Amino acid sequence: MKLNELMALMDAKSYTPTLMKDKDIHFAFCSDLMSDALVIMNSVKDPKILEHTILITGLATQQSIRTAEMLDVDVVLLVRGKIPSEKVILLAHEAQVMLLSTETTMFNASGILFEKGIRGVKYNIQW
Amino acid sequence: MVKEHQIIAGNFDLAGRASSDLKRLLKHSAAYPRLFINRVCSASYEAEINVVIHSVGGYMTYEVESDTIELNFYDDGPGIPDIELAMKKGYSTATQIAHLNGFGAGMGLNNMKELSDRLTIHSSPRGTHLQMNFKVGERDV
Repeated sequence: MKLNELMALMDAKSYTPTLMKDKDIHFAFCSDLMSDALVIMNSVKDPKILEHTILITGLATQQSIRTAEMLDVDVVLLVRGKIPSEKVILLAHEAQVMLLSTETTMFNASGILFEKGIRGVKYNIQW
Repeated sequence: MVKEHQIIAGNFDLAGRASSDLKRLLKHSAAYPRLFINRVCSASYEAEINVVIHSVGGYMTYEVESDTIELNFYDDGPGIPDIELAMKKGYSTATQIAHLNGFGAGMGLNNMKELSDRLTIHSSPRGTHLQMNFKVGERDV
């Protein structure tokens, strides 16, 4: 699925308009706990997977951007209408992470994506 | 190459800055496999967050060689009273502020152990020294 299509499906807005590029998204990972994101996504051996992954979180602090940066995931979607602070947006630009936000809840956002064929990242997942 | 970064206790705005710096350095050097860079930096980030959450402040150093990396984290206390207990998955003494920042679920030390090739911890009430060593290996290809 194209990122633009994904954004349209849940009426998402971008906080980093200058970084935006339309790319293919095939995988997603949901968590508010960044330790889980770090260890599970580090088990993925195929770097192509994380290139096409979106991190879905309700955590609107710098830590979700840092986590994405450590993993080479370049899209973060904030759910439940979370509004990032200026500092977070600045860091997203610095780390080249596309930062999106939607009013949709985490479960519903995941359901919408799952219906469209997006699959969740899990331990040692293969393409 | 050796570099040092200060880590400020309780400051979540700057938490992760040292690990970001390391990540960008390794990425630009183009000398390491991507999987290796990701596990080094994720482990570094967990350790940095630990210093921010649990200590009164400290610093980290990294030493980058051609196929090995050594990370050292030093803080000035209050120390880990029971390292074995702290290594248990899910055991945590973190406070609400850590949870609000997406950490503090008792995963950090375990994740560091899993991501690094060697983890050693020395701790007393006067401070903790955590060292992680990484070597490019089969798991990174």
